[in-house]
Amino acid sequence: MANETPLDLLQGTLDMLVLKAVSLGPLHGYGVLLRIQQISQNRLEIQQGSLYPALYRLEHEGWIAGEWGQSENKRRARFYRLTAAGRRRLDAEAKKWNQFADVIAGILRTAPEEV
Amino acid sequence: MSARSRFSTWWRALTRGREMDAHVDEELRFHIESYADDLMQSGVPREEAMRRARAEIGSIAARKEEIRAAWGARLLDQLSGDLRYGARMLARSPGFAAIAIGSLALGIGVNTVIFTAAQHMLFDRLVVPHADQLRLLWWTQPDDGAIEDLWGEHDPDPSGGHRSTSFSYPVYEQLRDTNRAMEELFAFKRLGRQTFSLEGQSEAVQVEMVSGNYFRGLGVRTQAGRGIEDSDDAAPGSGPVAVISDNFWRSRFASAPNVVGRTIRVNTIPLTIVGVAPAGFTGAYSAQSVPDIFLPFSMQPVVAPEAERPSGGPSLLTNTDLWWVMVMGRVRPGTSDQSAEAALNAALNAAVRTTMPANAAKPAPRLLLLDGSRGQNPSASLTQPMYVLMGLAGFVLLLACANLANLLLARAGARAREASVRVALGASRGRVLCQMMTESLMLSMLGGGAGVLLAYTVRNAVPHLLSSSWTPPAFSARFDWRVLTFSVAISIATGVVFGLAPAWESARIEVGTGMKDASRTFSPRRRGLAGKSLVVVQVALSMLLVVGAGLFVQTLSRLSHERLGFNPDHLILFGVEPPQTRYPGVAANPLYARIEARLAAVPGVRAVTLTDIPLISGSVSMHTFIPEGEQRKRQGNRSALSNYTGRTFFSTYGIPIVAGRGFDDTDTEASGKVAVINESLARKFFPHQNPIAKTFETGPSDHPLKPLIVGVCGDAKYDSVRKPPEPTYYLPYWEAQKGVAGVTFAVSTRMETAAIEPSLRKIVAEIDGSVPVLDVRTQNEQIGAKMQHERIFADLTASFGILALVLASIGMYGLMAYAVSRRTNEIGIRMALGAQPGLVLRMILGEASWLTGIGVAAGAGAALGMGRLIGSMLYGLKPWDPYTFFIAAALLSVVAMGASCAPAWRAAHISPMRALRHE
Repeated sequence: MANETPLDLLQGTLDMLVLKAVSLGPLHGYGVLLRIQQISQNRLEIQQGSLYPALYRLEHEGWIAGEWGQSENKRRARFYRLTAAGRRRLDAEAKKWNQFADVIAGILRTAPEEV
Repeated sequence: MSARSRFSTWWRALTRGREMDAHVDEELRFHIESYADDLMQSGVPREEAMRRARAEIGSIAARKEEIRAAWGARLLDQLSGDLRYGARMLARSPGFAAIAIGSLALGIGVNTVIFTAAQHMLFDRLVVPHADQLRLLWWTQPDDGAIEDLWGEHDPDPSGGHRSTSFSYPVYEQLRDTNRAMEELFAFKRLGRQTFSLEGQSEAVQVEMVSGNYFRGLGVRTQAGRGIEDSDDAAPGSGPVAVISDNFWRSRFASAPNVVGRTIRVNTIPLTIVGVAPAGFTGAYSAQSVPDIFLPFSMQPVVAPEAERPSGGPSLLTNTDLWWVMVMGRVRPGTSDQSAEAALNAALNAAVRTTMPANAAKPAPRLLLLDGSRGQNPSASLTQPMYVLMGLAGFVLLLACANLANLLLARAGARAREASVRVALGASRGRVLCQMMTESLMLSMLGGGAGVLLAYTVRNAVPHLLSSSWTPPAFSARFDWRVLTFSVAISIATGVVFGLAPAWESARIEVGTGMKDASRTFSPRRRGLAGKSLVVVQVALSMLLVVGAGLFVQTLSRLSHERLGFNPDHLILFGVEPPQTRYPGVAANPLYARIEARLAAVPGVRAVTLTDIPLISGSVSMHTFIPEGEQRKRQGNRSALSNYTGRTFFSTYGIPIVAGRGFDDTDTEASGKVAVINESLARKFFPHQNPIAKTFETGPSDHPLKPLIVGVCGDAKYDSVRKPPEPTYYLPYWEAQKGVAGVTFAVSTRMETAAIEPSLRKIVAEIDGSVPVLDVRTQNEQIGAKMQHERIFADLTASFGILALVLASIGMYGLMAYAVSRRTNEIGIRMALGAQPGLVLRMILGEASWLTGIGVAAGAGAALGMGRLIGSMLYGLKPWDPYTFFIAAALLSVVAMGASCAPAWRAAHISPMRALRHE
């Protein structure tokens, strides 16, 4: 259990990515995976096993809501959509991420003469 | 984040686990198949695609667990897992489980029973709104104070003198009329039993006289009709009304809805029922007993005119000398108790001055405003015995807990390997601790549950013990939330406190050491010490309880064999209380004489007599006693006990006449007044003289009675078995100036009570149907009832003592069996090296006797300390009675040795080969 710390970070990111993916329209679990891969142009490797616990966790928090529906190939699948609380959460997360990324990028861009 | 969604998902995970399981299954299958489809489209063969898709998701079971955890069900999942595991472990060692649960059930059951009775007797409040605000008025005065005539209870005051709650009615009226400090100042008085008749049937009922503001002041609303009001309590005789209690309404009127408006008769006086008191209302006097009928004080001169009234004296309501009514009230909001007390004290002093001018020179009473939430609380005398019982019951529980801790410790040792395997497999120490605590809590809750069931089945044992055979129990034990809270609390406390140490032992196990042979390496010294001290504590507690049992059982036995001075065998008693209105004063004498004569003629009856006060009933009558030749108003104790009796009293009770004669046919209402005195009285008042043919003076100074002493009888106990006989004189009942209102007949017969009771009742009913027959019992039952406290203590402490012995022997057996199993190896080596079985036996028994010795010594010390608390409750022996201590020590030694015998024998017969292979 000593390697839990990096997972936490990954989890946080995964939650945000899931919320983003679902914000573009209701998706089933596999759909979420495909959409993230598609948007990221396959540059992100998602652990498929960790996707479902994340979906359920987000549902537990009330950010997404799951409902049974029909998939494109006429099978029963669970579709997730973003709730109002989820949208607020996504906005807040995105803002925080962007600030964070800016700061980090700023630090990394700093040339020696600027210090 | 929303609490609602969190709760709803959590709730779904808990309650619809199976459905959720199926859904997750379906969802994951859909994912795997979709992924596999995509892989197949990119040319991967079907088999391979499915394999890769499954591999990506990983273990379905693990995902499901993560999902349930995501929905917050993890703690409960763990708990239910622990519970299931715990249940399996307990089922695997049913002996252990039975002993642990059984001993806890006994411990908790005993405590629940005692607590049920104790909370009732010690803590029950009057069933009125805001009982805590009620204040009861008391007064205290020095022994030579202004108040001389009292009808009611009085206690010695801790600061000298005595105190009482009784006030004279004129003083009450004055207090009430001048009252500013209290909201309402209302009064009440239990009149004792009065004759009630309805449709020609008579019986005795308890009557409480109340003031017109009583129901208003208490804040009690009747459940039907109205309460007694000020208009009922105006001029004497102005309020011929009654309120009946809920109990009486149910038992006597079968809860008839139209009871209000019906006419009943009390002492033959017709009264109209105006209301029914609410259920549970016990009046203001006591929370433990309920009066049947409430009457306004205004009816006292009509309904009970003879009550405590000196012949020719004023009515109770105008009598300024006799103090008898109780007064209660609530302090006005914004007034402190102190200032209310001060105001009432000033009012009391003024009232005493105006109503008792003759006693103005004597020290005045001082008013005390004390808690009235429990009424007069006549069970206050039970407080100390109740605390002693609760303490002893607590020791029983402690014993049971020590057993549990010991068993758990032994198990923790035995399960060290299991614990280290769990730790090695990645369980945190917290999880192991949690698992162990779950198990001990499970045991304690099971024990607690069984204990509560046990207590529920015997819940009426204490109330039953507290009642006599001819009266219903004063209360029935209620199982309410307080009792349940108490039991649950002690169960949880037991599980936590006594499970923590063993669980901690398990959790701190080192992986490496635990995986080796646990029995040798698992902190043996520490465990040994803990176990041994627990057993020493058990033996000590048992010693304490067994000594206590011995002392109380012997007290009862000595009391039962005490010389009474009269022969209580084959005597059947019953009370006759003629209605005062029909038989005022001496008018009852012919009735008594007729009943006596008719009873004497019943076949099988050898003798009949009657007494004013039955023997060994707890009451006495005490009067001035001025021997011939002395003057009244002399200093010193000039009083003696007295009793009015029938003519054949001495022969019926087998009290010997040692000089002169008893009463005989020559003593009639027309002849001169005569008396018989006992030897103590003769010694005290007529030292070195012959008292026969002397006279003495008694009764009120304005109407003194001067009987002639015609005989001296042997000393006989009067009110209590515990007290030595006191100076007592006996008068024929027809000499009583104001008559005897209510007597107890004593019928000497070898017939059973049940066989003769119908003819007794028939005779009285034939003579006068309005006279009820009360409390048919034998004299021995009467004596037994007076010893009920001693009997309760003997019964309860004896059962505690037996429980203690059982628990201690279990503890000793457990420790020794564990020690032997742990030392199998060592013993095997010793025997291989030539030790004889006898030596091994002695070694094990030696250890047991050491522990027992220490425990017995410690317990004896504690018992000596306890002796100071219970000394006053014993009779005929000292709390350090060496015989009791010796027997208890011997008993414990035998039990402890007996319990160690089996393990020791097993140790002595260990085969060296097997023992060494045990490694």
